[in-house]
Amino acid sequence: MNTISNDNRTLMQKVMLYLDNELTKEAERALLLEIQSDPQFMELFNKEKSFREFIRSKVNRRKVSASLVENIKHKIRVTSTP
Amino acid sequence: MEENNNKKNFGDKIFEEEFLPQIDALYNFAYHLTYNEEDANDLVQETYLKAYRFIDKYIEGTNAKAWLFKILKNAFINQYRKKSKQPTKVDYEEIVSYHDRDDEGGSYLDLRHEIFQGMMGDEVTIALNSLPVDFKTVILLCDIEGFTYEEISKIVDIPIGTVRSRLHRARNMLKDKLKNYAEERGYIDKRSKS
Repeated sequence: MNTISNDNRTLMQKVMLYLDNELTKEAERALLLEIQSDPQFMELFNKEKSFREFIRSKVNRRKVSASLVENIKHKIRVTSTP
Repeated sequence: MEENNNKKNFGDKIFEEEFLPQIDALYNFAYHLTYNEEDANDLVQETYLKAYRFIDKYIEGTNAKAWLFKILKNAFINQYRKKSKQPTKVDYEEIVSYHDRDDEGGSYLDLRHEIFQGMMGDEVTIALNSLPVDFKTVILLCDIEGFTYEEISKIVDIPIGTVRSRLHRARNMLKDKLKNYAEERGYIDKRSKS
């Protein structure tokens, strides 16, 4: 039981690193082979991948106002003028 | 005199070509840290003024985005100190190492379920903003801004191993919040059915 749990945990750690682009190319290839050979791992992988996509697509991105940009430029002009 | 002019022109060029293109990302980060438009504006303004003042410390063509994010993060911490509102200090990694534990339920949450897909950005943003600031920060830097672990480690001033464990924990906390939210709306976690 513990062994299965440890395997899952190790795999999840590798999946995390893969999705964060932190694995070497070689480790990536090995992980993908491992995932493809096991439907349960594939499911875990897909769920984690969908979480990342979900966060990226759902978290509101704020746009800066033109007045802030102008303010910053103005202050810099003032401070940098001798 | 001429040397000063050259320095100013060089600074202005860097500012326009490398710093200003990052302003939307910086503002987005500032907004999620402060959750307040006015504070976010102040923070971004302070970041740019500081970046311009110390522009001679920046090497042209290197990682302007990471450099500016680090300035912003430090300005945010100082701003909190001034207001005597210390951001949450995270000692959790030292107390609990997630890598030494079985994954918590959140890791297996299936966000492809229609109840999650139907969530509005506001709901997800509120869940993210309710995380302690150190956890929210790593998610914003990694998942929203796409920084590498090494860049995050430099921006936040923590070891890479801590970036990894903090991210892991932060994501699980966020999943738990999303799961609770969905359960309030009738979502049933299949793993708890048996």
